[in-house]
Amino acid sequence: MSPGCRGALKTRTKGKWVSHHDVQSCSQHGPSRVSIQGLFSRRVTIVAGHFGSGKTEITLNAAVRLAREGQAVSLVDLDVVKPYFRSRSARELLRLSGVELVAPMGEYYSSDLPIILPQIRQRLLDRTRRVFMDAGGDDTGARVVGSLTDVIPPAESEFLLVLNFRRPFTLDVDSAVTMAREIEATGRMRLTGLLSNTHLMGETTGEVVREGFRLAAETARRLGLPLLAVAVEEGRDLGLSAEEFPCPILPITRIVKPPFEADREQRTVGPLFVVG
Amino acid sequence: MAKKLMKGSEAIGEAAIQAGCKLFFGYPITPQNEIPEYMSHRLPQIGGTFVQAESEVAASNMIYGAAGSGERVFTSSSSPGISLMQEGISYIAGSELPVVLVNIMRAGPGLGGILPSQADYFQATKGGGHGDYRLLVLAPWSVQEAADLIQDAFDLADFYRNPVMILGDGLIGQMMEPVEFHPDRKPCKELKPKEWAATGCKGDRPTNIINSLFLDPAALERHNHKLQAKYEAMARDEIRCAEYGTEEPYDVLIVAYGTVARVCVTALEDLKEAGIRAAMVRPITLFPFPYAQVRAASEKAKAVLVVELSCGQMVEDVRLAVEGTRPVHFYGRQGGMLVTPEEVVDEIRRLLTVPQLEADHA
Repeated sequence: MSPGCRGALKTRTKGKWVSHHDVQSCSQHGPSRVSIQGLFSRRVTIVAGHFGSGKTEITLNAAVRLAREGQAVSLVDLDVVKPYFRSRSARELLRLSGVELVAPMGEYYSSDLPIILPQIRQRLLDRTRRVFMDAGGDDTGARVVGSLTDVIPPAESEFLLVLNFRRPFTLDVDSAVTMAREIEATGRMRLTGLLSNTHLMGETTGEVVREGFRLAAETARRLGLPLLAVAVEEGRDLGLSAEEFPCPILPITRIVKPPFEADREQRTVGPLFVVG
Repeated sequence: MAKKLMKGSEAIGEAAIQAGCKLFFGYPITPQNEIPEYMSHRLPQIGGTFVQAESEVAASNMIYGAAGSGERVFTSSSSPGISLMQEGISYIAGSELPVVLVNIMRAGPGLGGILPSQADYFQATKGGGHGDYRLLVLAPWSVQEAADLIQDAFDLADFYRNPVMILGDGLIGQMMEPVEFHPDRKPCKELKPKEWAATGCKGDRPTNIINSLFLDPAALERHNHKLQAKYEAMARDEIRCAEYGTEEPYDVLIVAYGTVARVCVTALEDLKEAGIRAAMVRPITLFPFPYAQVRAASEKAKAVLVVELSCGQMVEDVRLAVEGTRPVHFYGRQGGMLVTPEEVVDEIRRLLTVPQLEADHA
């Protein structure tokens, strides 16, 4: 898909199709599984959202996929809000995938101190690298982005907000709009797009995704921003078809997990249990 | 009510509010900062009061004072902060006041680190402060169970007029899972009006005094006997534990609590595939400890393995339960390192090759 292309966004409400012609989003070529290159087309991608929105997972998925295609990718873990379950938790997976992780290392790896590494500025200025920034929780996390705006090149950057309408502080459109405005204010940057990622982890149903999409579309309309994609966990049969959504489906794999997941493969790449 | 995706800390905060708690006094500390954050956000919305105290010492004395009014009172902290609260907790227990405390444990001793731990078991169950008192201690293993137990904790605290602690490792505070609240939930105990509360009597009844000072030794001894009778009633009526795989024959019994028990449940599946027969008891109340349940389950096993994120604390209660009738082994990680299912499987394989056990096994 080409970002910014204009198309009619249709959402299903109470069995009827409703169009929001003023929403700028989605593909002219019909709904599809979106390619990472198409979705994250700019050199610098900053991903924001409340903790639990899924921004870490989306950032990790995107960085890993682009690196596996041979691009020079840096992932900046800007999370100074959460002490656990940050993108640095997947450092082994990132290393194996060829993604450069920019995060405090050594004894500060596990800290929750507001450490902004000098390398972050260097990577933002390096035109040969794709840079992903995982901006931690809500407006507090976005403050770190605000401190870097002098080196974030606007023309080459996108600032995305991930929305999960099953999180307690964004259960409705009003609170999502408020959060978006707060993130823009403290991040000192305009958001460029939204990603719908409403989920309940292992208890996600198709209806949860559909309802979240509907609310994200309404949020996008209110904010005048494109809704770029609907993220859906890969390999789960939620009874969703690509045709239901006027914007593309972004398949993601859950990476940062607690140590008791039954899936052996996922256990070994998880977060805290690879510490040390 | 639709399910929400909540961090353990948020679910704990919301559960306290659903339980009718309108007063929170506390001081932030990782990994449970989201509890005070959540309460500071939500309490003003419902006409409650959130106070960030100047320290945990102050917070524990604020909950002491507020609980004396008969209101539902709540605080939360993590290991070093709970240590600072011990003076107030002993006074609260001595004054027979209901409060709910949450300890989201991080690795110690001292400032330690911010990653998960279970090394405050002794402090929680044996009394971290001075004097002969006990907390009723509940240990959730999931975000949903944390929310459910918080609501029960308020009822139990009121019923026994005793502090109740929710003891969770750092993961309980930080991990996210779907949670559902039931607004029509009924109290888990039959609760009487709080006629002891210091609410201002305006001369129409004898004055209620909240106090833990008894200068007359005979009176203080009687007071201690009264407290002990409550702890005996808890041991009789409040024990909670869950069993996994104990209906089938097994050679090894695992005892674990909190999220470590979830790691062990995954290990049980791996062990079953490997043809090793194992089962698990998960204490949910740590005080009162399910001695009889652990003893009964151990009698069907050849050996017991206790798994903890500590250097071995609950293992002492398991040894008291088993009374030397079975070998009790221990496996633990410390410092914020987590136990993996593979480690539990390896440990059980290793202890099954101990000669004596192998002979029994054959």
